[in-house]
Amino acid sequence: MAITEVTDQNFNEIVLQSDIPVMVDLWAAWCGPCKMIHPIIDEIAQEYEGKALMVKLDVDSNKETAIKYGIRNIPTVLFIKNGELVDKQVGAVPKKKFIEKLEPIL
Amino acid sequence: MKNIDDISELKQFENLELLAKLVVEGFITGLHKSPFHGFSVEFAEHRLYNTGESIKNIDWKLYGKTDKMFVKRYEEETNLRSRIIIDTSSSMLFPYKEKHRQTKLMFSVYCAASLIHLLRKQRDAVGLTLFSDEIELHTQTKMSSVHSGMLYGNLNQLAFGDIPLNKKSKPAELLHLISDKIHKRSLVIIFSDMFSTEDPEKLFSALQHLKHNKHEVILFHVTDKEHEAEFKYHNRPYKFIDMETGETVKLNPNEVRDYYKNSSGQFYNKLKLKCGQYKIDFIQADVKSNFKEILVPYLIKRSKLH
Repeated sequence: MAITEVTDQNFNEIVLQSDIPVMVDLWAAWCGPCKMIHPIIDEIAQEYEGKALMVKLDVDSNKETAIKYGIRNIPTVLFIKNGELVDKQVGAVPKKKFIEKLEPIL
Repeated sequence: MKNIDDISELKQFENLELLAKLVVEGFITGLHKSPFHGFSVEFAEHRLYNTGESIKNIDWKLYGKTDKMFVKRYEEETNLRSRIIIDTSSSMLFPYKEKHRQTKLMFSVYCAASLIHLLRKQRDAVGLTLFSDEIELHTQTKMSSVHSGMLYGNLNQLAFGDIPLNKKSKPAELLHLISDKIHKRSLVIIFSDMFSTEDPEKLFSALQHLKHNKHEVILFHVTDKEHEAEFKYHNRPYKFIDMETGETVKLNPNEVRDYYKNSSGQFYNKLKLKCGQYKIDFIQADVKSNFKEILVPYLIKRSKLH
């Protein structure tokens, strides 16, 4: 399953108005560690299909959202539930870490 | 390099570092899967450069390509702190002055040296504590090569220096003290025969104390199985000398074998049971056992922590 790409324009509609918790992966094409976590995010997306939504946001072309959440490091994964930021994970970390943060908000 | 006996040829060099290297390399080559997967220091994230910050960490390649100023951040260099604790009391000198047999202390020193090498390969910080009836050494926990050089120096002294007889041990009292001294959560690896005149219950509470302080504990119960557990002596009168107190008993092994085996077995079982209850990894380490039996439990524990 391909991960949905979101932009500043549709962020509100797809992420903030989602009925299920959302994991937003903020990345950039030139960032090595971001590429390292993509396969992990793909796996989680498959495992939690229907229970949580995974989306990607390119910070280079969508600066507004990145500024709104004060993103200074990438990769950063935001955990959003009912339109509110619940948690975030900075850096390339093992899958376990993402799951640990995702499970409590399901 | 599999057996502890194999290294007797290398003893002449009196260089534990070399020895540890040979043991560990041989051990790793024999494994099917590399235990180091995911342990290395990895480039973990990009962070926006703040004006005034040191420029040495800027990702210049990225700047050249995109005109963006980002700093490379790496995963924390040490993600495990470990402490190796060795009992250096006189009972660890058993089997005393026997040819072709390691003493329990030598065995512990070799294992500790190998573990230090393995830990350093994984960039883990390591500290060393030696105790008998007092804490003889308590180093800091570091990962530098100067530090490990010092640790090898101390182990060398322990292995090849003279250790006096009649040095008592108080594991229960000292494990309490040591657990108060270890401030950050660590992996604690203990080498001891757990022989002491203290009340066993006190010993169990000391182990519980370590666990209570949130440390992960592996206890290598070092014994000479043939003599200490199975009491395999010829049927002739022997003079048994307590190496810690000097007390002497004249005995015929056959007469006391059953009683001895029974009571020592009871103590082992209780120790094992208590360790199980406190979630401490209890490993029976015979002085004749293979290095693999020592290094594998550590690696399993290590992988559980991550």
